[in-house]
Amino acid sequence: MKAGIQTRLLILTTVVLGTFLTLAGIVLDRSFKASVLTGAEEQLRIVVYSLMGAIEDDHNTLRLPGALPEPRLNQPESGLYAEVVARNGLRPWRSPSALTTGVEFDQASADLAPGEFLFTDSTAGEPRFLLSYAVIWGNAEDAVLTFTVATDQQPFLAEIQGFRRNLYVGLGTVTVFFILAQWLAVRFGLRPLRTMASEVRALEEGARESLSADYPKELEGLAENLDRFVAHEQRSRTRYRRAMEDLAHSLKTPLAVIRNALSEGAAAQQDLVFEQLDRMETTVTHQLSRAAVSGPVIVGRSVNVCELVQRLLRALDKAYAGRGISTENLLPPDLNVRLDERDLMEMLGNLLENAFKYTRSKIIVRAVSAEPLNIEIADDGPGIELQLRSQVLNRGTRADVLQPGQGIGLAMVQDLIAAYEGQLEIGDSELGGASIRLIFS
Amino acid sequence: MRILVVEDEPNLREQLKSRLNETGYVVDVADDGEEGLYFGREYEYDAAIIDLGLPKLDGMALIAQLRSEDRSFPVLVLTARGNWQDKVEGLEAGADDYLTKPFQPEELLARLNALLRRAGGYASPVLEQGALKLDTARKEVRVEENVVELTAYEYKVLEYLMLNPSRVVSKTELTDHLYEQDFDRDSNVIEVFVGRLRKKLDPVNPIRTVRGQGYRLALDVTA
Repeated sequence: MKAGIQTRLLILTTVVLGTFLTLAGIVLDRSFKASVLTGAEEQLRIVVYSLMGAIEDDHNTLRLPGALPEPRLNQPESGLYAEVVARNGLRPWRSPSALTTGVEFDQASADLAPGEFLFTDSTAGEPRFLLSYAVIWGNAEDAVLTFTVATDQQPFLAEIQGFRRNLYVGLGTVTVFFILAQWLAVRFGLRPLRTMASEVRALEEGARESLSADYPKELEGLAENLDRFVAHEQRSRTRYRRAMEDLAHSLKTPLAVIRNALSEGAAAQQDLVFEQLDRMETTVTHQLSRAAVSGPVIVGRSVNVCELVQRLLRALDKAYAGRGISTENLLPPDLNVRLDERDLMEMLGNLLENAFKYTRSKIIVRAVSAEPLNIEIADDGPGIELQLRSQVLNRGTRADVLQPGQGIGLAMVQDLIAAYEGQLEIGDSELGGASIRLIFS
Repeated sequence: MRILVVEDEPNLREQLKSRLNETGYVVDVADDGEEGLYFGREYEYDAAIIDLGLPKLDGMALIAQLRSEDRSFPVLVLTARGNWQDKVEGLEAGADDYLTKPFQPEELLARLNALLRRAGGYASPVLEQGALKLDTARKEVRVEENVVELTAYEYKVLEYLMLNPSRVVSKTELTDHLYEQDFDRDSNVIEVFVGRLRKKLDPVNPIRTVRGQGYRLALDVTA
């Protein structure tokens, strides 16, 4: 089965929304990181400038005042460190904060051209940001000083982490909210379709005869067409059956006339004509009843089998009154089956009439199983000959070539049940007579 | 026995009438449902044969209407469609048996006979009252196993009385049920038949005269 419309819409929305929010997250994350790094560089640049302002030039050593402009440079392991190197070989100066910490000031800054800044990332040991700046000090061409300031990355990284956490929680909440909103929108939007599905189901089960008229305009056409189709199907079935019945009527009455006329005369050919008449009658009866089978219906009411059997038994009891036949209907009262009521009546009517004709005293109708529906009609009559059983059950045998008696009725039922892809089983009953089972697939 | 036949097909209607007449029944025919209803209301019948597909008032409605008016004579339904829906609905409307067209005339007569018997309370085609036996199929009467030769009308009188065993049957009723309408009602022909019957059935005497009312079948007839 294909995924439902609701699932499809939800998957699509989730993918689009997920991609969009992920991309937005990445962009925001990168921009923030860049701005934090720029901020770090800016801070270091200020420290460099303040150092430049504070330095005192002695010919042999680089000297800086005891109280540096940036207090953190004086505290050991404060996270901010500085170094000043002179290229002419003077002893370099390091901030007090760097004295007890093995800060690796990057040597690459040694080649830095005067007037240039170099911002780098040191990962050796504690991760730090470094900013180097080279200046020509005084008038000598070779008196180049390189200022390098380093700061621990930790506070900046922590700031980025904090931002990231907030960003992802925020985006996640937005995603969940949107998916939920989308789900509700889809459910609301698809409600008419669900209603239609349940109404079509009710239509199939015969619980209603048409769809309700209250559909949004996108579905109105479909609902109307469905209604029209169902009505058309029912109408044409009825029309077809009526035509068949009229045909039967118009054929059978003249046959009755001929038969009666002949039985009055004493023609030598009587036997032959009667025989032919019999064949015609049987053929007409058989073919017409076969043509009138509805067969499995798409749209039909469910039939209560127990009630239907009860009606047939009452009717047959009346027609066979005085024969002293006792009947038992052991079908569950709530046994329902969805097929054409008239077809079921034809099948059970023929079988029950046979049972009434041939039983001695007792007929039992029971359900062998409900799923698949298996109805047994048992009597205590003489049973059915083996040869007739195989003749009836053999699909090639036409009912109208069978001898009159049980055979024709059984063969008609066999034809009807075949239209439902079911089966007729003929056996011996526990009552001592015939057992006929009608099994629907 | 007076039978009502309601059938719209003229040929079949006439065939049924003549066949039933030959068998000894008095027959009224109607060619549509409304006429059938009129006859059913106006006259006393012993049975009716009603086609389901009738003009004006269909057979099913006709039967239901007759039953609602307490017309309780047995009804045999003829149906051309032959489907069970019709048969069951016909029987539910008040019919007592059905026959699918086309049918054998013998089958129709046998069914009609059975209906008349059942209405009289007999299960077997041989009606028995003590030593008196009347075989409705063979139209034969026996007293202590000896066949009694009866004329058609004598047989009809005895059969009618035996089929109505527990009540008094007036002479008018006998006349109505055994003769066509143009029969002279003032004649004493019924008394003559009854007198001859009593002689022929001797030593049993199943027919009692109820003074001023008519005749009644004596139950448990012994020789």
